Amino acid sequence: MNDIDHNRWGEDLAAYMLGALEPGEADEFGRHLEGCRRCQAEVRWFEPALGTLAESAERREPPRQLREALLAEVRADARRSASAEPRRATRSPFSRWLLKPAVGFAVLALLIAGAVGYEVGSDGDGAGGPSTLERNIDGIGVKMIQEGGGGTLQLSNLPQLPADKVLEAWVEREGEVEAVPALLVPDRNGQAETTIADMSGVSTVMVTEEPQGGSEEPTSPAIVTMSVPQ
Amino acid sequence: MAVRREKAERLADEELMPLVGGKDPEAFEVLYDRHGGAAYSLAYRIVGDRAAAEEVTQEAFISVWRSGARFDAARGSVRSWLLSVVRNRAIDFLRSKAGKAPKLDFDDESALEQRPAAERTEEEALRRETASELRGALGKLPGEQSKVIELAYFGGFSHSEIAEILSLPMGTVKGRMRLGLEKIRGELAEGLA
Repeated sequence: MNDIDHNRWGEDLAAYMLGALEPGEADEFGRHLEGCRRCQAEVRWFEPALGTLAESAERREPPRQLREALLAEVRADARRSASAEPRRATRSPFSRWLLKPAVGFAVLALLIAGAVGYEVGSDGDGAGGPSTLERNIDGIGVKMIQEGGGGTLQLSNLPQLPADKVLEAWVEREGEVEAVPALLVPDRNGQAETTIADMSGVSTVMVTEEPQGGSEEPTSPAIVTMSVPQ
Repeated sequence: MAVRREKAERLADEELMPLVGGKDPEAFEVLYDRHGGAAYSLAYRIVGDRAAAEEVTQEAFISVWRSGARFDAARGSVRSWLLSVVRNRAIDFLRSKAGKAPKLDFDDESALEQRPAAERTEEEALRRETASELRGALGKLPGEQSKVIELAYFGGFSHSEIAEILSLPMGTVKGRMRLGLEKIRGELAEGLA
């Protein structure tokens, strides 16, 4: 290709890098770029200039909840990936947890809750409609609404958490403890809720305070436990 | 296997990416803490709204989490790749908000009046063109060059749309884009010399 032919591509190169070519033009340029070392070299040379544009935006602090939401989603995704593996690494036999001092109290509390059961009652009609369990645990209002195979855990009158802490819900299902993917972040009124997509086989729900982004397993005593009737 | 946060913090971006591709939340957390500010700032600069910037940044990072393996170290730094993901998401957001890439008709002023304030009009793009946002090499460009680059990179306008907005031949718009990028690149090269 001579210089005159190539000038045509050179004119498009900056527009291509700025994302300003029309879709058909960009496709055509992309195909040319694959086989043109001269344009490839120019693209590499121009790339730092594009970086300068990206960095030229006035710096703003991202909201804290953005980080929390992102990390919660990522950790939940990681848990799902891990639980899909044959060894189910994030799910431990429930009995094994009793041997861990850090979580022993939480699990003990969970077991006790399972024994005393739900105390305030249920408004379920026994015909497949929603059922609600409510309790007041050390001043924290706990409401568990079950409907259509799933559930919603609502907490109220929660204390303010340190900036680096979140609440994480856990369920006991068939002797194993699983984390609920969405973390609980209390609002300014001390209220928080999370959804439990599948309540089948769940015997107990528990909430613990965890570091930002959540934990793979409970690391602090449960502040809330509630048994769920089968 | 996931690495501990302290270990992840000692890794370079290029070393974190394979871990992110392997679904390591600690590596991802470090990546976000390093580049989340720049990503959010860029998203905000393009969409001009806090909630939308959050949405764009979150989508961009989640796409990085789910496709971390697509990063190609041979084609640039992790940061520039990540910011290009954010930029593309932000432009997509603007386009979806506008329905389709707008075809501005300056003969029809009523059509412009009907456009929401945050839409990608020249007025909106130029309004955001404040001195504080035009830092460094970009701020040193002649106005005619910075204007076409701003409209393209931050506004998501195509060269033909910019030509229409500024009533310029398309070749002139492309030429100004190239001259502008050449000057920015030249400034950077001088800074390194």
